[in-house]
Amino acid sequence: MEAGSHETAQTMKFLHEALGDIGSALSKRRIWFALASEDISDQHRRTSLGPFWLLINYLVFVGTFVFIMGRSEGIPNYTAYVALGLLVWFYIMETMNSGVGLFVREESFIKGTTLPLSLYVFRMTMQALMRAGYAALGCVVLLAISGVDLNWYWLWSAAAVVLIVFVTPAAIMIFAFLGAYFPDSQFIVQNLTRVGMFLTPVFWAHTSAGDLGVRGIFYYWNPFTYFLEIVRVPILSGDAPLRSFALCIAISCAVWLLALVLLGRLRRQVVFML
Amino acid sequence: MVSIRAENLTLTYRLRRRLSLARNTVPLPHGGRIEGSGRTQHVRALDGVSFALEAGDRLGLIGGNGAGKTTLLKILYGIFEPTGGTVDIKGRADALFNINLGFRREATGRRNIVLRGLINGWTDEQISARMDDIVAFSELGDFIDMPMKAYSQGMAARLAFSVATSLEPEILLMDEWIGAGDPEFQVKARRRMSEMAEKAGIIVLASHNHQLLRRICNKVLKLDHGKVEHFGPAEEYFSGEKEDQ
Repeated sequence: MEAGSHETAQTMKFLHEALGDIGSALSKRRIWFALASEDISDQHRRTSLGPFWLLINYLVFVGTFVFIMGRSEGIPNYTAYVALGLLVWFYIMETMNSGVGLFVREESFIKGTTLPLSLYVFRMTMQALMRAGYAALGCVVLLAISGVDLNWYWLWSAAAVVLIVFVTPAAIMIFAFLGAYFPDSQFIVQNLTRVGMFLTPVFWAHTSAGDLGVRGIFYYWNPFTYFLEIVRVPILSGDAPLRSFALCIAISCAVWLLALVLLGRLRRQVVFML
Repeated sequence: MVSIRAENLTLTYRLRRRLSLARNTVPLPHGGRIEGSGRTQHVRALDGVSFALEAGDRLGLIGGNGAGKTTLLKILYGIFEPTGGTVDIKGRADALFNINLGFRREATGRRNIVLRGLINGWTDEQISARMDDIVAFSELGDFIDMPMKAYSQGMAARLAFSVATSLEPEILLMDEWIGAGDPEFQVKARRRMSEMAEKAGIIVLASHNHQLLRRICNKVLKLDHGKVEHFGPAEEYFSGEKEDQ
């Protein structure tokens, strides 16, 4: 009984510290906003098209998939399907890949300043959102060209985007700790996200409901499927995927809980790991 | 009133074997004693360090490499949390550890001043109030609106120095005295450092330069392998040191 209450007190202390770290980072939003904008413009400073290369890269990808797979897949409005799928998948892939190296990259800041760890996480979230924004421009244009009707179901997709943005900092946090404590994970995550593009229904669909098959397994047992579907289904099928939504909300809460526990427990130790 | 009170400060951390397939991934210890063997090795970077400083005190930290000087400074600043003991600091601590941190090659000098100011926790008003002084002191002239990659090393160092010393510190933590630039600028820099040091309520300065410490400090804390070997008035310590030689 004694030990139990001690444990609870300890957990509460960790959670309190984690929330304090996040609160402090939120109050310093000028810093991460400024640094994220600098990051984006640094990456494209010497090019003439600048960050619009992000848009072009996205359009080339969508175009390639439509050209190669468009006819064989038999999905109605394949262009819109791939446009939405790639938009979300690229965002997920990028946050995972750069998240895993985050604390390692920020070593000199972590060892030299007292800025809260969450600040680096928010900076990266902001950067990923800005980059995705350019692809989103292309996505909206493609949706318009491919003849999708604007209707009230789009609000469900907007809510899905909000949910994905909400869970992003927590996911980055977890991957950042993973990368700091387990350096090899950088390569594992890189590999998984590359393979994940094919294992997740980004450009293919699982249509035959009765027969599971290999595709069915990767469709149903892949958490990313549901994050793609809550954005895609309302726009393409005019339907509110309530069960996928419920699942995504549950996953997001679990991810945030894990992130808070990790932040509380490891916040002060990570500096010795780098 | 500013003050620092450290009571039995201890910092140990585990040298963790990182989960990795590659060898030699144990991070190098920052200093101190390595205890234990096999899988669980601990580094005792600081061991029972106690001292108290009041307003006006200038403390010189001395000791060999790995004695724990930087570790102590980082605890006082708040980067490390002590694993034992308490530290009670009244007043805002500013640190001059790595003054080049956070400067971006692609951004202009002026933009870098803003970014560095934000990182230091300055408000917008403080940044714009200090901007002209920083620009003037750095002697960069029109270069201030050029990207930093166009600067010579000396120019970049002058800018970093000007930003770093544009403080009104209550408690100033320094890992070695800093300076920058050509001989002419160095004179200016020395004067600026002295002025800033005079304004500070408390200074903690780690250095190997005993002449400098003798000039600046009124107290000395000597560390050896994380333990306090000596704590007392600087005059007494340095005059004793002279007789030894």
